[in-house]
Amino acid sequence: MKRAIPAVVSTAMALTLVLAGCGGEDEPVDPNAPVTITLAGWSLSSTPEFKTLADGFKATRPNVTVELKEYDAANYDTQMIADLAAGTAPDVYVLKNLRNFYTYQSGGQLLDVSEAGSALGSLPALAPYQVDGKTYAVPYRQDSWVLYYNKELFDKAKVAHPDGSWTWDDYVAAAKQLTAGLKGAGSTATGAYQHVWQSTAQGFALAQTPGADLLSGDLAYLKPYYQRSLDLQAAGAQPTFGTANTNKLSYQVQFGKQQSAMLLMGTWYVATLLNQRKSGEADTFEWGIAPAPQYDRSTAGTSATPVTFGDPTGMGINPKISKSKVAAAQAFLAYVAGEEAGKALAGIGITPARASDPITETLFALDGVPGDDLSKFAYGTHEIRPENPVSNHTAGMQNVLNDLHSAVMSDSKGLDEAITEAQARAKNEVLTQ
Amino acid sequence: MTATRLTTPHAPLTITGPVNPEPGRRVTSRGWRLVGYLALVLAVAALLLPFYWMVMSSLKTNSDVFTIPIKWVPDTLVWRNYIDIWQRSDMTTWLKNTLLLSVLVTLLQVFTGSFAAYGFARIRFPGRNLLFLAYIGTIAVPWQSYMIPQFILMSKLHLSNTLWAIVALQAFGAFGVFLMKQFYETIPEELSESARVDGLSEFGIYRRIMLPLSRPALASLTLLTFVTTWNDYLGPLIYLRSPELRTIQLGLRTFISQYNAEYALIMTGSVLSVLPVAVIFLLGQRHFVEGIASTGLKG
Amino acid sequence: MAATLTRLRPRRSRLVWRNTVAGWSFILPNFVGFALLTLVPVVALFYLAFTNWNVFGAAEWTGSANFRRMWGDASFWTALRNTFYYTVFHIPLTMAAALGLALLLNRKLRGVGFFRTAAFFPYITSIVAIAVVWNQLFSPEYGPVNAFLRAVGVDNPPGWTTSADWSMPAVIIVGTWREMGYYMLLFLAGLQTIPAQLYEAAKIDGATSWQRFRHVTIPGLRHTTFFVVVMLTIGSFKVFDLILVMTEGGPGQSTLVLSQYIYQKGFVENQFGYASAVSIVLFAICFGVTGIQFWINNRRES
Repeated sequence: MKRAIPAVVSTAMALTLVLAGCGGEDEPVDPNAPVTITLAGWSLSSTPEFKTLADGFKATRPNVTVELKEYDAANYDTQMIADLAAGTAPDVYVLKNLRNFYTYQSGGQLLDVSEAGSALGSLPALAPYQVDGKTYAVPYRQDSWVLYYNKELFDKAKVAHPDGSWTWDDYVAAAKQLTAGLKGAGSTATGAYQHVWQSTAQGFALAQTPGADLLSGDLAYLKPYYQRSLDLQAAGAQPTFGTANTNKLSYQVQFGKQQSAMLLMGTWYVATLLNQRKSGEADTFEWGIAPAPQYDRSTAGTSATPVTFGDPTGMGINPKISKSKVAAAQAFLAYVAGEEAGKALAGIGITPARASDPITETLFALDGVPGDDLSKFAYGTHEIRPENPVSNHTAGMQNVLNDLHSAVMSDSKGLDEAITEAQARAKNEVLTQ
Repeated sequence: MTATRLTTPHAPLTITGPVNPEPGRRVTSRGWRLVGYLALVLAVAALLLPFYWMVMSSLKTNSDVFTIPIKWVPDTLVWRNYIDIWQRSDMTTWLKNTLLLSVLVTLLQVFTGSFAAYGFARIRFPGRNLLFLAYIGTIAVPWQSYMIPQFILMSKLHLSNTLWAIVALQAFGAFGVFLMKQFYETIPEELSESARVDGLSEFGIYRRIMLPLSRPALASLTLLTFVTTWNDYLGPLIYLRSPELRTIQLGLRTFISQYNAEYALIMTGSVLSVLPVAVIFLLGQRHFVEGIASTGLKG
Repeated sequence: MAATLTRLRPRRSRLVWRNTVAGWSFILPNFVGFALLTLVPVVALFYLAFTNWNVFGAAEWTGSANFRRMWGDASFWTALRNTFYYTVFHIPLTMAAALGLALLLNRKLRGVGFFRTAAFFPYITSIVAIAVVWNQLFSPEYGPVNAFLRAVGVDNPPGWTTSADWSMPAVIIVGTWREMGYYMLLFLAGLQTIPAQLYEAAKIDGATSWQRFRHVTIPGLRHTTFFVVVMLTIGSFKVFDLILVMTEGGPGQSTLVLSQYIYQKGFVENQFGYASAVSIVLFAICFGVTGIQFWINNRRES
């Protein structure tokens, strides 16, 4: 053992030196030479977006091949952190949300891509990726939260369809009327389904409440949103959090199998619902999209711009990419955030970061997408605020708020007590660290 | 639940006090045997309930898996999930990789573990206890806290994204060393002492005396290592990227995550991955038979 | 042992040398792999605990800052308290269940192989399936557990995994249920090392079953029990995946344990330095408790 100690210590020292990282190698640059860049993706066989983008880019730049590297969908970031730390990550990788963008950007794991960014023109989803005047990633998807509703269940319960003017109180009233009406019609379906995620309450509260700031440490803005959720579950107008959690209720089944008439969910669900109708996992019924209920009347109605939330999905470049490939990678980034890629993505049911009428038309031309005006309005018109403001405290705050969510929704703690406690934790454990 | 109630010392232990007269005793013991069987059957039901649910869910369509209340028997049995998994996934590759890894890791762990344990149990040398503490100490460190430094190290050794990474990760654990050491210590010192007097080398003692006498311990080490490697998910998740290297756990979960939390498929995969382990356990447990270790030992 | 020592003493230095060589040659094959692949990263962890490290860049030395922060970190204390809560109940329950099963299944019994396999099944059943089934069983409104409790006259049955007060007991029950087969296997192996002659001798001496259990089985299992206690202690302090799939630490922080806190701080909040410091504390606790167990064991042995 005595002889072993110095050996172990020196190896450990060597290791910590290794941890300091090392740079990429230099190679001569020739703009037209064939280049292969690697791109991280997940669940490749069922997530066509990566191949769509790679093939679309190949059509515009035949000398560049985008090779896909498959990661695990559920543990993408764990695997990516490990790969980046060890220097084995692909050239271009996806940033699933803004919280992770901060991790990678602040860790120096994203190359400055201002060049690609400046080619994009006005693109609201680009702003969160800009730090100190430099762009570190570009958005290619921008999902946002909307209200999905089952037209047939509304009719069955004899409740008027959403007209785009709803505030949250209207939503709560409708959910209760639906539940009562459906019961009267002999159905066990509930008026609404609120999935177990914290975003279902907190995302809207943060985006819509005037003056709400996740990083201020003042969490009183959450209160009305939770009061309504608790009211709905106490009234039986939506399955309780406990039931949804312990029985692993899936929102796809709740809405797709017509067990709930309304569902607040991100726009990614459009593609899922279409696929599940085709495979028979979801029933075939008349459905529609409405804007998410609003904080007050000022943003409600089809003449206003409703406020909702959602993080963009972006792509960035690994700084360890070899110099000869940087230009091709930048060009790829400019492509994925552009109009053409947008249309290609909309064609497979995905909401691209760029919003334009032709792109909306492409999506609504898909078989099974509702054709009514309100659905188009809800899909195309909104102000999207980020769920995760880019900051070093966001991840910590979201953890604190996740605990608040499960404590309040399971009735383990009173709302006021939980908010007070979360504020204290935010102050002591997150905002001052 | 029933299983937990069984935890109290089992039936025969409740006979306390003076020894009962023989005939009466035989009757009670037969009675107790019956009660014991009954308790066992109940316990088995409680133990196998989730497995039963797993099997039943694998025979349902995805949207029927979660219903309120639980449906224990599906209306119609759907075999599609099994066909889907076999046709759409690369099950044979996964099984091959997993089997290779499990066998290799088990061999290495059992061999190096039982070998090192002899050094710790039977040979006194300076620094031995400290070294042993280092072994035990590393068990106490949660893996997720040093997995990144370890991953960086393995990448520098060009082991990441190879099956060797998993072998390296699993084969040299402290678990086997500790387990075997504990069992060697139950073997009377006099046995190896007299062998030493007869001129047997330390290796000879290990080979001729310790190994044959610790068969139940070797059996449990083999079974536990095999099962751990077979069921390991986090290790392969961190270290393996190429699809052709996937193990059964990694492959199944990656396959399943492509289909958006389809629990019917998840359960189908789980059933398929449990069965080989169950068979191996059923075969391996035969080594826990009284009388192997006690032969040739002092009374 | 003592006898060996006295015999060794005379030609000490040569013997010590011979033994050191012999000892190391036995240990080396395992030690090489162990030192390189486990010990080195663990030693690095001890260094990282005193730094601010975001995984990607160089670690910045911050002295005891992480530990001072931990002292004032209420969530850390909650996680620590919950970890102890789990450990204190999980260890004795699992020990008793595992030993009971092992004794029950260590006899000539029709179908004993089947019963043993059944007892081991919870350990090999997919943990996802376990979490799903137990959560459904515990479902407060519709679950069979509460249906049973209501049937036997409990008016207000607990909310189990959806209640801050009952989530930990629920997790303990499932943890015990899952692991007892694993430790049963070790006890079964241990029982084989007790010579049958000892039982026969005890029987001839007129010992009752209880007396034989007390004076033959328990002492005969001493080495196994020690191993089980140590592994169980460390395993309980490090409990992670079960809680993750059962409750994710909730509701609130009611089942947050140290391992999960470490994962959260490291992989979610990207504070690997702080996460390392918390794991050092977890390590120190495990090591302390294990050390005490070793000490007690050694004292009993001598």
